[in-house]
Amino acid sequence: MITYDDEIVCAPRAGTLYDVLELILDRGMVIDVFVRVSLVGIEILKVDARIVVASVDTYLRFAEACNRLDLEHDVRSKTVPELFGGGAAKTVAKAGARRTARSLTSKVRDILTPEESEEPEESEELEEEPRRARGTREPERKRPLRRPPEEGRGGTGRRRDDDERPRPRSRRPARED
Amino acid sequence: MTDTATTQGTLYVYGIAHAGVRAPRTPGVGGAQVRLLTESGLCAAVSDPPEQVRARRRDLTAHQAVLGELTAQGPVLPMRFAVVSPDPATLRAQLRADQGRLSAQLDRVRGCVEMNVKGSVVSGFFADLVRRDEKLRDLARRTRRRPDYEANVRLGEALARSVRREARRAAQEVLSRLAPLAVRTAQGPLDDELVLSASFLLRSADEERFRQAAAAQARGFGDRLALSVTGPLPCYSFVETRPAPAGR
Repeated sequence: MITYDDEIVCAPRAGTLYDVLELILDRGMVIDVFVRVSLVGIEILKVDARIVVASVDTYLRFAEACNRLDLEHDVRSKTVPELFGGGAAKTVAKAGARRTARSLTSKVRDILTPEESEEPEESEELEEEPRRARGTREPERKRPLRRPPEEGRGGTGRRRDDDERPRPRSRRPARED
Repeated sequence: MTDTATTQGTLYVYGIAHAGVRAPRTPGVGGAQVRLLTESGLCAAVSDPPEQVRARRRDLTAHQAVLGELTAQGPVLPMRFAVVSPDPATLRAQLRADQGRLSAQLDRVRGCVEMNVKGSVVSGFFADLVRRDEKLRDLARRTRRRPDYEANVRLGEALARSVRREARRAAQEVLSRLAPLAVRTAQGPLDDELVLSASFLLRSADEERFRQAAAAQARGFGDRLALSVTGPLPCYSFVETRPAPAGR
């Protein structure tokens, strides 16, 4: 058996504002004689939220992690987090759970508070999400898999791409309702 | 804070409830005080709009909190974020003209809350899959023997696909287990990683049971699907999005 350590998510995570963003913004009643103020940036946010995650980059990280599995003997003895190596290990299991929130987090920060200086406590509010690493943005954590530490090939160019989402990475347009 | 509202009389609208509820004390969008506008047995929670309505975290939270306070008192029809009425008269006319339909909708969500469940792919599950699936293991072996870029991409793609497939399957299962506990279910948009996004309209009395059921599902599928449960929420997903315009 792969021994998942107890860091793994087995209880449902309590949701946050990010989890219900689409409800507040897309559901709820609209009455025609009223006006819905158009919200700049929200479309981008939605597109980003649904951006295609599958990419060569992701594949390579899967392959990398897989290449560290012992295929013949003790596939069972290692914990999955170890396979991703390093200090990141503990969070791998949760990364999936947090993906949506995290990828939205920096987006929400950018879009929801374009003028951060305007209200300093606003950014604090954004920080208060418990799962956010304090004070850092760690954009690579948006991804489901940790970049293995020794990853070398062509890493930097791609990484910059990641940081600047949303970008034409979205090879497929957002699935619209 | 909001005294700079540019258009005279414009009202930010939070939601509609039966007349008789107390005005929420929570500050509204832009920190504005929320008041009630009553007409024909209904009332609308409103405030002066901020100069510019933006989807800031604080304002989204305020919108949510105002509705939460109303929901605690009885059924509410939540408005979408950033809906404003041009003036009080328009709002009153709307409540008057659409009174029947709005009341009926209120009755439909009476005693109910919305719970939202999201599920995303747990990538770590790939290791389990490799262990179980002969084909994946072969592919992994071959890739290791002849490691090159193309082979790695192919392997990674196969793993990513399998992991997603397993998570989607689990999501379907979770949905089919939770749906019977709800009065109604509404599904939201999915993507490659978010494989479950559903809102459930529950009788408040069933909330605890629902939570336990969700927790059981999370335990059962935690290795491949990470669940998050949000709620109780105002019934955003279970109001008619656009009631027919009132016959004026």
